[in-house]
Amino acid sequence: MQAANVILTSIKTFPWQRTLSEWLSIDAPILIYMAKATIAALLALWIAMTLNMPDPRTAIFTVFIVMQPQSGLVFSKSYYRVLGTIAGVGISLLLMGMFAQDPMWFIAFFALWIGLTTAAGFKYRNFQFYGFVLAGYTLCIVALPVIETPLEVFDIAVSRFSEVIIGIMCATVVSDVLFPRRLLDSLISSEQERFLNILSTLSDPKSVFAVFDETNPAVTRFSSGVVGLNAVRINSSFESGSDQKERQHYEHLNHDYMNLSTTFHSLKSIIAAIKDRENSEVLCALERLYDPIASVLTTLPDTLLTPKDLENLIRELLEAKKTIQVELELEHKRLYVLTHSEEEDEYISAAYLITRLLNELHNHCATYLSLLKHRISGNASRQLSRVVQFSTHTDNVLVGLAALRGSGVLLLTMLFWILTGWPYATLTITMAVVIGLLLGTMPSPLDGVKDFFKGSVVAIIIAALYDFYLIPAYTSDLLTLGLLLSPTLAFIGWMTTKPKLAIFSFGFVFMFMSQCALDPYYKIEPTKFLESSLAALIGILFGGLAYLLVNFWSCSLTQQRVAKILRRQIVSLCKGALNVERSALESTGRDLVQQFSTQGRLNMRSSRLVFEWLLSTLEIGRAILTIRRTLQRIYLRYHTKSIDIALESIKDYFETPSLSQREQLLNTLKNTLQELRLTQMPSEKAQFKRLQTLIVELALIRTVLLNSQTFPVVTEDSCH
Amino acid sequence: MPLDITLFGIQMPTLLPIFVISAVVQILLDRVMSDAGIYNHVWHPGLFRTAVFVCLFTIVCLLIYH
Repeated sequence: MQAANVILTSIKTFPWQRTLSEWLSIDAPILIYMAKATIAALLALWIAMTLNMPDPRTAIFTVFIVMQPQSGLVFSKSYYRVLGTIAGVGISLLLMGMFAQDPMWFIAFFALWIGLTTAAGFKYRNFQFYGFVLAGYTLCIVALPVIETPLEVFDIAVSRFSEVIIGIMCATVVSDVLFPRRLLDSLISSEQERFLNILSTLSDPKSVFAVFDETNPAVTRFSSGVVGLNAVRINSSFESGSDQKERQHYEHLNHDYMNLSTTFHSLKSIIAAIKDRENSEVLCALERLYDPIASVLTTLPDTLLTPKDLENLIRELLEAKKTIQVELELEHKRLYVLTHSEEEDEYISAAYLITRLLNELHNHCATYLSLLKHRISGNASRQLSRVVQFSTHTDNVLVGLAALRGSGVLLLTMLFWILTGWPYATLTITMAVVIGLLLGTMPSPLDGVKDFFKGSVVAIIIAALYDFYLIPAYTSDLLTLGLLLSPTLAFIGWMTTKPKLAIFSFGFVFMFMSQCALDPYYKIEPTKFLESSLAALIGILFGGLAYLLVNFWSCSLTQQRVAKILRRQIVSLCKGALNVERSALESTGRDLVQQFSTQGRLNMRSSRLVFEWLLSTLEIGRAILTIRRTLQRIYLRYHTKSIDIALESIKDYFETPSLSQREQLLNTLKNTLQELRLTQMPSEKAQFKRLQTLIVELALIRTVLLNSQTFPVVTEDSCH
Repeated sequence: MPLDITLFGIQMPTLLPIFVISAVVQILLDRVMSDAGIYNHVWHPGLFRTAVFVCLFTIVCLLIYH
């Protein structure tokens, strides 16, 4: 990419430079990728053929499975592919050694293994998922072909493993040596984009104070990408020249961004509630409070920021912090006269969120500046000692369902094999298992199966052309075979760059590689070709059938499930351990919602609802943690019974939510707040601050609960 | 050094364990070099990395086949 950038800057004088630079930045990478994929595949074919491997197609197939435009993705995919293959080969040897004579036990353990790998593949993210898919798939391709002659299993296991290693070596070396594209570069550019987006969104007070507008892209973009960028960061760790410090910075940026986005959305939802009540006085006060932030940000240039700009920005943000603090105290005194507690609650929670937003923005800028400095001179300005963990959450019901589907489809196809006695039915089993493993995590698996089927049919036609016409007529050695194959290989490479064709190309690669005559010597018969193609297509149908049958995951069920999990989270925060980090809370919640919105078929309206629930949970959960921590450090005379009662009733409400309990809880909170406000303020500064924190957090909980009409009591069915 | 060795009762070419060991060494070396910032001064990090591995692997191979 660096070379491309140099060329980009040097062609500025050409008259048609725009066209050329566009071609260089959009089309050229695709062409380069196609060339890389073809070269890697041919290299794998050549090595496997020269070493006399029994099945060179496995090597070339592996190349296409792990090949990706960015080197980091290739490395991490390869790593998990090796692990998956080792596990698959090991379990095949074990199963064949123990149960080759005993079909009952063999099938039972086979089904257990497939169920396990499907479930684990569902539970883990990124390419770890891929390792489990391979572990299941390898068992099929190693154990099933030798089921009649179990003694050959060791030979086939060794050769399959060597072929996979050849394919992986070719793919990784080619992608890292020929025109490498680093994942880290794409990471920095998306981080840049995200940072500018934050600044431009926050610089406009309208984006905070206007009514929620779904068409405003800046606001909707403000929550996306946390889970995705985290995946990119993990995968980039395999690349050359990615040092630990830089990755740590990305980790922190992601974490800061997550906090910032939560605060932003919470603030927006509180302001929306204030607007609904047409309380212009509070609103004006809040706008005045926000003014310093907006005025700092509007003076910034739109272009890329230099470290110097950032340093200025950070200094100005610090000043804005002081201004806001002064303003807040003044305003607080003025509003205190009103003593209308509802309004005051709203005001102090929104004001608290604004100061938090500013703090987090300041943090984010400081980390970003440190990253820039680190990239430029290697001297990070910030010591990032704390480890922030990105935790994930997977729902066990979804996992169980996936396991059931995986084992079920295996047993079904095994039954088909036993009943028909068809020797090619092993291919049916393999294909059905692949479909069950590979497409399980897709948003709409049935459409995926259709695409896979189409890809396979096209591949059969092209493979037939190769097998019965091109290869017998034109190839005499490895060179001519390579030349003949390269257009198709380049075509496959092109397909994998198109996200729309992803599953289609998977189907194409699977079928083409299993049907094309890529053996050390030509041994294709028409009947065998037709029968095995038919078996594989039937396998795909079986896989699709499984998705059709084991699929009772409806929209309203998803909503209930999410609400239940979120509720449980709050309950556990009320009584569980105190050492929960906010980052863990946030990342778990986001990961959960992301997973449910791809799996649970939520419509637009329900997705928004679920996101609102998540926000309420995060705010309430964080507030509960802060309250409990503060209570440990505050003098006993301020730790009144009513606070404990309030916490207890929050817990009760989230355990068994009902409308009457909601009223009761709101009242309890109101009384507690009143009582706290009437207590004599301590003169000691630290204690005063802690008491203030208690009031703010309780007011925040009350405001969030008041605003959230649909959670935790699910009153509205938005699925229809 | 013999061309074949027996590990856990399985006879295999000596190249295989050598390959695995040099891969491990390469991974450790890679981590050290990337943290030390050496890759920032190299024209083509990927090629450099591959070349280092080839050197590591072939030095030991040459010792065996000498």
